[in-house]
Amino acid sequence: MSEEDPVRIPYYPGCTLKTKAAGFERSAMECAKQIGFEMDELKDWNCCGASYPLTKDNLMGLAAPANILIEAEKRCHEQEADSLLITLCAFCYNTLKRTEFAFNTEPKKLETINAFLDRKYEGSIRVIHYLEYLRDVIGFDNLAKMVKTDMSKFKIAPYYGCMLLKPKKELGLDDPEDPVIMHDFLDALGCQTVDFPGQVDCCGSYLIMREPKKVSKLSYNILSEAAEYGAQALVTACPLCQTNLDQSQADSAQFSDIDEVPVLYFTQLLAIALGLNTEGHQLEDHHVDPRPVIADGLEGV
Amino acid sequence: MLISPGEKNLKAIRELELGTGETISDCYQCGKCTAGCPAEMDPAPSVLIQYLKLGFFEQAVNAESIWSCMTCLTCSERCPKNVNPAAIIEGLKLRHLRTQDSRVSAELLGHEFLANATQQAVVSGFRKFL
Repeated sequence: MSEEDPVRIPYYPGCTLKTKAAGFERSAMECAKQIGFEMDELKDWNCCGASYPLTKDNLMGLAAPANILIEAEKRCHEQEADSLLITLCAFCYNTLKRTEFAFNTEPKKLETINAFLDRKYEGSIRVIHYLEYLRDVIGFDNLAKMVKTDMSKFKIAPYYGCMLLKPKKELGLDDPEDPVIMHDFLDALGCQTVDFPGQVDCCGSYLIMREPKKVSKLSYNILSEAAEYGAQALVTACPLCQTNLDQSQADSAQFSDIDEVPVLYFTQLLAIALGLNTEGHQLEDHHVDPRPVIADGLEGV
Repeated sequence: MLISPGEKNLKAIRELELGTGETISDCYQCGKCTAGCPAEMDPAPSVLIQYLKLGFFEQAVNAESIWSCMTCLTCSERCPKNVNPAAIIEGLKLRHLRTQDSRVSAELLGHEFLANATQQAVVSGFRKFL
């Protein structure tokens, strides 16, 4: 693959990937390059709105994601690229994928939004999550062959949260009650994958704006359970899950009886497995420093 | 003693169904939504829906628990009758926000919180509570 020009996939970053989760983006881009594809950031992008409108009468919520799909479509036409739009953030994935589904199944909605925006989305884009690209296009078996680091000492629990999986009918990425994609990803890296029941429990999401104590409690339930099942760290694909689970651990009253559990983006771990330099991946910016666990995993292998 | 919900409540429920695209009478009160709800809502999702089934819109729209829903969609995914409780709760929130006070403000959150907050939490939080 390295002999040819890498495949360029239109990429939508979203607000958090450019700010709080910049290490997620940087590690993902560097891993992609190593694997053999390039994430080609859309030039003129706007916020997706972060949450998909659940009520049928709230069409305004589709205008922002529609603009993004239009930009992606334009890019694919210009470059004769496959009609894919790759995302990293689980919220962006959810919002864009559900918008894609709405336009595919309810042409009237698309017509209304096109008229409102005075632009034309033809409905050709397929939104795909980075993990999905690794599974379906690269293949986890091929990914396993690219791993350069012995990861066999890493005991990692996959944490899916909500937005990557639900609603299944519209996203179709994996089973929301019993997902395997991140398990298979960790297996491909050669980690000891820790399966735990809390992997699909909600971290509290945007409730951090109103009820941070509840977020601490939910995060505690997830992290203490993962630790009980033997995990040294969690991996996630959602910046809000990462920050809720990570920063809640500052609530020492809630977390008094368990050790700290680092929470990594799955691409930060992928970078280590591929033998990349992790500088700029912002491991040091996490509230719970993951570097001791990483050093421990790499020692003596 | 209130024994009839009254025309105002019934009209509001019809509008809620129209706006959300949900059919509230489809719910047969199995309680699966409530059993899986991580938000410790009280009144719980199935209770809110029962209020609406009985015509008591005011009780549902003014229930403090609607603000604890984090749209994790567990209820919607598990409902055996294909009702979407999260959408109904969002419909109640929207109705509340359109007619009454908002539930979050930049002033209340303060500069320090906003400077350190995760951007997507702020965007989605403002969408749900403002």
